[in-house]
Amino acid sequence: MLKKWGILLLAVVFLTACSASNGSSGDGEYPSKNIEIVAPASPGGGWDLTARSVQKILKDNELVANNINVINKPGGGGEVGWSYLSTKDSHYLAVNSSLVLTNNLLGQSKLTHKDFTPLATLATEWQAIAVSVDSPYESVNDLFEQIKKDPKSIKIGVGPGLGNDDHLAFVQATGMKGVNAKDLNFLVYDGGGGDVVTALLGNHVDVVTTSLSEVKEQHLAGKLKILSVSSEERLEELEDVPTLQEEGLDMVFPHWRGIMGPPNMTEAEIQYWDEKLGEMVESEEWATLLENNDWDTFYQNSSETKQFMDEQEKLYKDLIDKSGLIQ
Amino acid sequence: MEGFLEGFLTAIQPINILWIVLGGFLGTVVGMLPGLGPATAVAVLIPVTFGMDPTSAIILMAAIYYGAMYGGSRSSILLNTPGDGSAIAATFDGYPMAKKGQAGQAMAISAVASFIGGVLATIGFVFLAKPLASFALKFGPAEYFLLMLLTLSAIVSLSIGKMIKGFIAMSIGLLLSTIGIDPQTGIHRFTMGVPHLSEGIDFLIVIIGVYAVGEVFYNFLTINKEKKGPKDGGDSMGKIWFTKEQWKRSKWPMLRSAPLGFIIGVLPGAGGSIASMISYSTEKQISKKPEEFGKGAVEGLAAPESANNAASVGAMIPLLTMGIPGSGTTAVMLGALIMLGVRPGPMLFENDPVMVWGLINSMFIGNIALVIINVLLVGLLVKVLKTPAKVLYPLIIMLAFIGTYTLSYSTVDFYLLLLFGVIGLLMKVMDFPIAPLVLALIVGTDMEQNFRMALTSSNGSFSIFFSSWITVVLIILTVLSLFYPLLIKLFKKKKNDHTIAS
Repeated sequence: MLKKWGILLLAVVFLTACSASNGSSGDGEYPSKNIEIVAPASPGGGWDLTARSVQKILKDNELVANNINVINKPGGGGEVGWSYLSTKDSHYLAVNSSLVLTNNLLGQSKLTHKDFTPLATLATEWQAIAVSVDSPYESVNDLFEQIKKDPKSIKIGVGPGLGNDDHLAFVQATGMKGVNAKDLNFLVYDGGGGDVVTALLGNHVDVVTTSLSEVKEQHLAGKLKILSVSSEERLEELEDVPTLQEEGLDMVFPHWRGIMGPPNMTEAEIQYWDEKLGEMVESEEWATLLENNDWDTFYQNSSETKQFMDEQEKLYKDLIDKSGLIQ
Repeated sequence: MEGFLEGFLTAIQPINILWIVLGGFLGTVVGMLPGLGPATAVAVLIPVTFGMDPTSAIILMAAIYYGAMYGGSRSSILLNTPGDGSAIAATFDGYPMAKKGQAGQAMAISAVASFIGGVLATIGFVFLAKPLASFALKFGPAEYFLLMLLTLSAIVSLSIGKMIKGFIAMSIGLLLSTIGIDPQTGIHRFTMGVPHLSEGIDFLIVIIGVYAVGEVFYNFLTINKEKKGPKDGGDSMGKIWFTKEQWKRSKWPMLRSAPLGFIIGVLPGAGGSIASMISYSTEKQISKKPEEFGKGAVEGLAAPESANNAASVGAMIPLLTMGIPGSGTTAVMLGALIMLGVRPGPMLFENDPVMVWGLINSMFIGNIALVIINVLLVGLLVKVLKTPAKVLYPLIIMLAFIGTYTLSYSTVDFYLLLLFGVIGLLMKVMDFPIAPLVLALIVGTDMEQNFRMALTSSNGSFSIFFSSWITVVLIILTVLSLFYPLLIKLFKKKKNDHTIAS
């Protein structure tokens, strides 16, 4: 008897739940249910932290009334999470980065940015090229001269794998000095940024190319020397470090993070996120987040992001072709 | 050192004591459950730490970390199922002890061993953090490769009498470790188009599969033959405190393993699995009664337990002095700290001494709290042995699936889990040692990559493996670990002929 009642109760709950979600989603009321942000990585990583920060700031500032959840779908350098997103409705969003382009260009994924709805570019990190304090190279030009003369003589630490921004930024920079990327002598540390820095501190490599945040503290403490950064202008706290442009290399290389939705989002839905995310990046919490992570503001709305993605895809295609990763 | 007192005062604030006890207890629990490890626990707690004071947050996260080292050996001892890589060595003698009816004693001694390892390592942290951090920098690709080689040779040499089977298991582990994207070239190896495989097979799935699921399958086969419980049933739990004799045997092994584990823990990437394995094989080799190892020798449990806890303390050193995470858990901690606006690195000791010393002091308090918690839990945990098989085994299977799911939230891993459960069963039936397979899978990828990096940086010359005193010492140790059993045999044969029965 009790069991029957239980089943009946369940059925009632289920039906109410269905009608609740159906009732409001019919008439363009968006969002009509919980928002799910997919972090295509394990808890604790960069994408996860970005997703959780977006969730927290949107909620704390009451920008979005609906519940927001973060779902972790790690695997395949974002591939698993993004292919999950591509099958969902417009209440699902995912954090992304240049990997959404390079996975495809490197032949590791069939999906590309065109299979999603770009919503925003949120923030960027900058790339840094660093050497040990007692290195003979005082500038990237000194270093690149030596690489050009004898590419094998310079061991370049990079991680966690080739084809990422750390690798391609270096390919682009040396390419401008006429170095053939296939000659570069990379040591790939699969543990990523931290391992690369340890290797430089222990003098196991001559130079590292990595995210600025990995080396900034070490530079300030005088443990190693950042030769150049990939930003447009010199950065706060690092006024002594020239940009690549100042060194005569005409390039700016952002390591950006953004957010996107599944394919086929309506204009109204895109509009909604332009408004909400645009407000979010103006908040104080967002500014603190950027500062804590050594990120820079890099907000672009959905249409700007769309154009930006197209430009980035061209750049990455060119760099990957040059790098010799695809035969 | 100037911040020591202030740090102590921070650590004994009631709220921080609460975090220490809570974190330690939580760590013990997740450590016990197969698949749930400290990294997962810390990651899940990140949203909680958002609003916390950074010092309290790191105290809490650290307590979870070393708490898991205490808990990890519980399931190794009771169920022959390590909760994590660093608890594998605890199965070697812990489980045989439980079978002999000494489960309570085994858990008590391992709690005390963890305590000794943790406290000694914390003292080491106070005095040696900076010199050790710079020693760790001397480890280049060649050194790492040889350290991993030593670990593997040590573990293979443990399988006396079935060395060939040990080598086969290790080779399978190494083969499995090649699955995934090759970092050097970006080529997919053996992924068969499955995106889930592109980052390789998580060794935790293999641990849960071959140990937990394999054990259940194995017992399922034999459950009707013996009309007993899962273990020897009945009154097999024994005393819950160890004897004087057991203490005497394990005293020195614990004290020796703590500094060993601590130093290995400092090396980024090495960690508790390597530390506990090397300390176990070291103790076995210098023991006067090596033949008792693997059959329930109490020192064979005490040594690795002391080492892995010491390693977890050591792993904090590169995190706090250089901002470089030395293990999966500390990597997650780094992410959480950054979110709180703390950037661990060379400046942290100067910028935020209270936080660093608060953490160090909290580790003393935490270890005291944990040894109490864990000894108190012994009485409760031995009841697991009394649980009827019909209840216990389905429970283990359920936990195995939950643990697996939390690793990457994917059902693909369930198939892998069952596959490795069958492999574990086959290995048990055919009497293959399991640890070499798992350890090889844990270190395989790094070992291969370090080997290639070493040769890339020497332009292909093997001389790099003899280029520093560290490499030479590691090579000597490796050779010794492989041939020591042989040498001992020869030596003993000369002395007296009938001691080599087994």
